[in-house]
Amino acid sequence: VSWIRRLLFVPLLLGAAPLAAQVTDTTRIPTGVRLGLIYQPVYHPKLAVRPFTGGAGAARIEAVEAIVRRDLDFSDRFELGPVPPSLASGPVDYRAWNSLGVVFLLTGDVDVADGGLHLRLVLHDVVYGTVKETHSFRLADVGAPDFRMTVHAASDEVVRWVTGQRGFAATRVAFIRRNGDGSYSLMTVDSDGENVQEVLRSNDILMSPAFSPDGRRMAYSVGRDDGWQIVERDLASGSVRVLASRPNLAMTPSYAPDGRRIALSLWTGADTDIYDYDVARGCCLRRITTARGEDLSPTYSPDGRRLAYMSDRLGQPHIYVMTVDGRDATVISPYVYGEPGYYTSPQWSPTGSLVAFHGRSRGDFQIMVADADRPGAPVQQLTQEGRSEDPSWAPNGRHLVFAGVRAEGRGLYVMDSVTGRLRPLILGGRYLVPDWSPTLLQASALAVRGP
Amino acid sequence: MKHHRLIILAMMGTLALGGCRRTPPEPPGPTAEELDAQRRAEQERLAREAAERERLAREAAERERMERERAAAEATARARAIIEEMVHFDYDRFNIRQGDAEILRRKVDVLRQNPSIRVRISGHADERGSTEYNLALGMRRGTAVREFLTGHGIEAGRLEVVSFGEERPIAQGSNEAAWAQNRRAEFEVVGGSFAGGQ
Repeated sequence: VSWIRRLLFVPLLLGAAPLAAQVTDTTRIPTGVRLGLIYQPVYHPKLAVRPFTGGAGAARIEAVEAIVRRDLDFSDRFELGPVPPSLASGPVDYRAWNSLGVVFLLTGDVDVADGGLHLRLVLHDVVYGTVKETHSFRLADVGAPDFRMTVHAASDEVVRWVTGQRGFAATRVAFIRRNGDGSYSLMTVDSDGENVQEVLRSNDILMSPAFSPDGRRMAYSVGRDDGWQIVERDLASGSVRVLASRPNLAMTPSYAPDGRRIALSLWTGADTDIYDYDVARGCCLRRITTARGEDLSPTYSPDGRRLAYMSDRLGQPHIYVMTVDGRDATVISPYVYGEPGYYTSPQWSPTGSLVAFHGRSRGDFQIMVADADRPGAPVQQLTQEGRSEDPSWAPNGRHLVFAGVRAEGRGLYVMDSVTGRLRPLILGGRYLVPDWSPTLLQASALAVRGP
Repeated sequence: MKHHRLIILAMMGTLALGGCRRTPPEPPGPTAEELDAQRRAEQERLAREAAERERLAREAAERERMERERAAAEATARARAIIEEMVHFDYDRFNIRQGDAEILRRKVDVLRQNPSIRVRISGHADERGSTEYNLALGMRRGTAVREFLTGHGIEAGRLEVVSFGEERPIAQGSNEAAWAQNRRAEFEVVGGSFAGGQ
């Protein structure tokens, strides 16, 4: 079966890379880091998407189908099978599909209605020969600003039907672009690499974008010659307010899961420390860390009770976990006394205890994952090629976006931490510090009115 | 015999004339106008000479002034160059290197001699590592430089520190030579004037 072949292929490919690297590279994988050869042998059911039908016209139907098909592919939950011409239309022949090894079949109808489109999706369980799920979604029309996002939300629902966990297509990634003229742009791109938007361009340094948990606001940092600010922007209206400012450095804001607080890093005079700010009340800046050295990049645990962050209090940057009031600081990156280490840019998974960050391995930076609940346990290194920095989790706690350099070019890449599958999200520019949004649109918002 | 007569007449004429010179008539004195003209000429000559002396003095003063200004400008340029000389750092470090301490001590002298000068120190990092951590590292490099200078008696209020992290490389390229140039602190005079200057 081809998914088995694929699973065998991934470790072989990854196994070959270190051998090639050793020829020119004398550095080694740090102690306490396990190379990412533990990608799980996950079963990927074979899914076929039959060409959509309906009365909306070929162009609209194909536009919707193309987005759904790619979202399902990018979900990394299925093996997408080809559709033989003989099965491309007519009544669903479960036996014929079953003989092709297809487990799930998706059919769809697109019609014009409600000033937009109606998409009726049917998920067939081929093995049992039954309809597993069916639902109608109200989509924005092709070309409308929300068109792609409404289709993504429908795709995410299909992933949920099969796996029980919603997909992550209806999301965006915010990032900073360094422009050729020395200016900076705050950008967003949809999860499928489409719809690249410039939110803001500035001659000041823009850094550290972070989505609020409701996806409606974004905090980021602005660096001018005369000082730094943490700014919060309402994405719909474009209105901004300054949350904190410092003459020297104010960086790396991160929202608490309830969206009412922000953890951030401010320069204290000698180094940076982590502070807490009450966004809801617009007040009450409170210092959390006081240790010598830089404390940067705080990131909340999903229950809002702990923070992971970077600190170089031991001389080199390492990843720590502490309670939100600054107690019980514990190293979770591989720390070995007397050995060089460089681990920065942590981000806590939105679904569990894993913390992703980047660390130096074999001379360059690679994405690693540590378990905040198991300090001292070996750290998993997810990437091994080129350079990989500044990871950020998708809301499913499984996919990661990072700033990378690969044979395909420099840009942002998306990786499935379970299978190791990698795809470029956006290439060709100097993109940095990506932040993955929460789910921006849920299928429940697309309910068709009436019967 | 006509010739002899002529010679005699000529001789007589000569004698008569000689007699006249021996007793010249009283010469007429210069007229008032002539005296006036003479005085004016003399005054003009004196005035010209005075103007010439003045011009020479002026030119000399001008030359001297320009020479002083040139020297002052040179001193200012030297002082400015000493202030603006960069210092560099080891990878992921912010301690002042041995050789760079001498560069900073020269700055201390210039800052003492020019007490109104204010300086902005900007810390920079190479492209490797985390962008945000590099901004913090740049801040610490700038701060380490300021601490060195304040440790040598320069008032902290004259030194502001900013960081550009890896955002403003001066050397392009991903190699050690470029990285070494980019791990630096830059110095910019942002206020005051040099004592030798205007």
